[in-house]
Amino acid sequence: MKRRAFLQSLTAAAALLAASPLIQAANNPSFRFLRPPGSKDEKDFAATCIRCGKCGEVCPNRCIKYLGTENGIESLDTPYIVPREQACILCMKCGDVCPTGAIESVPREMDPILEKVNMGVARVDRTLCLSWQGKTCGVCYRACPLQDVAIRIGRLEQPHVLKDCVGCGLCERSCIQIPQAIKIIPSHTRKRV
Amino acid sequence: MQKITNNPSALRHLNKLRWLVLTTIFLMLILLPFIHLYQTFVAAHAYDLLLPNEKVIYNAMEWLTGPFVHDPEHDLDLVKGTTWSASLFGLKISDPLSVVSQMAASLSLYWPFILTGLIPVIVTVLLGRVFCGWICPATFIYELNDTLAAWMRRAGVPLGDKVYDKRIKYLILLAGLVLSMLLGSIMTAAIYPPAIIGRELYYAIAQGAFGSGAVFFILTILFDLLVARRGFCRYLCPGGALYSLLGRYRVLRIQRVVEDCNDCKKCNVVCEFGLDPLQDGFGQECNNCTACIAVCPTDALVFKVQMHDQAFQGPGHLGHAYRNKHAEEKSGG
Repeated sequence: MKRRAFLQSLTAAAALLAASPLIQAANNPSFRFLRPPGSKDEKDFAATCIRCGKCGEVCPNRCIKYLGTENGIESLDTPYIVPREQACILCMKCGDVCPTGAIESVPREMDPILEKVNMGVARVDRTLCLSWQGKTCGVCYRACPLQDVAIRIGRLEQPHVLKDCVGCGLCERSCIQIPQAIKIIPSHTRKRV
Repeated sequence: MQKITNNPSALRHLNKLRWLVLTTIFLMLILLPFIHLYQTFVAAHAYDLLLPNEKVIYNAMEWLTGPFVHDPEHDLDLVKGTTWSASLFGLKISDPLSVVSQMAASLSLYWPFILTGLIPVIVTVLLGRVFCGWICPATFIYELNDTLAAWMRRAGVPLGDKVYDKRIKYLILLAGLVLSMLLGSIMTAAIYPPAIIGRELYYAIAQGAFGSGAVFFILTILFDLLVARRGFCRYLCPGGALYSLLGRYRVLRIQRVVEDCNDCKKCNVVCEFGLDPLQDGFGQECNNCTACIAVCPTDALVFKVQMHDQAFQGPGHLGHAYRNKHAEEKSGG
């Protein structure tokens, strides 16, 4: 009987292992989310984050939410940010509280943030943007915490995203157009050049 | 018969203390998400814009924490997290299972994180699987569930009381770690009830809805209720398996004083982990929960400082078996 129970559990474990490639759901490209500021690369992130939920618990802006199975079972319960719903204010508390280094601790100063934080990069859709359509707006520029470093405005307050954009998403959050004319392209879905 | 224990009546109260600790920790897991909400409301500087129920949370938490903190937005960050991984006044403490799983998933050693598991490991090596009995928020629910099951049995509801091999949980621990390694993702976090409870309470209170882990947890409750008594902890829990291994050579052990034992078997019935105190069968899985001490009518169970269990000492000297045997010997001799 004991041997039978042992064999049964062994079979179950083997079946689980055999099924593991099936469980690995493909990433859903239409679901666009950011990782918290200072996060590791996507692949390392799932292997490092222990799903303790403390990053969300210290987020004063309540922008950090947790994935279910929508991005595959490997990223179950990992933190994400949808900037249009609630964007990151770069307070850097999540990195301080993260015990595992999945989110790196970055001081809340300009240089370390520019160096270490890479959530994504903003992209302006000029056909939707009010300023680019001749109606002076400039809201995205004014929402940006890194004005003239991450974004600058030209004639008629037309936004130009600069290469130092860290992808916090406050511009996307603040855009008055529906759908938003400025979007963060997450760094983990961008093609490496 | 002389008592060997110093003060047995004091040991009996340890079980009440344990319940106090379990309850406190569970209530903290409910309170902390509310405190987080309160902090975000404070950070937003817009009390007037809060919804009526949010104002209730704000006022309650202000009343509760007001005497202790000066600057709620930052001071309340001192206590965060769950039993899976917590930061208490700057000290980060993590469950050993999270440390081991992360090592398996990332195939690397990240010392700042590994060191957060040091305190629980030391405590477990010295005191045994105490996390399971004294801290685990799932134990709180499971023990209440077990009480419910006892009432239902008394009312005549037939509930399953299957017994499986306790070693299954070690296989599950191994499978969880291997799966974590293969997927490159910490899968044990998804099947470990204390981690799930901390997370799901936070999701439900601060994020608006339970996540998928709640379904798993309800299944484990039903398993305990309908299939096997305390089945998840006894047979399946990967964290319990790890704690058992760590606590194998624990220094503090509950042991039976054979001179005081009357073979009443109450300890075996009450033992949450299905151990066999009556025949000195404690083993690595005893979590020093003291439930057997509290229930023992003759105070025959005491704490002892030793690395190994006593071998079976024979029937208790106050019981029938021993006395009959003794009487035979007397009449024979």
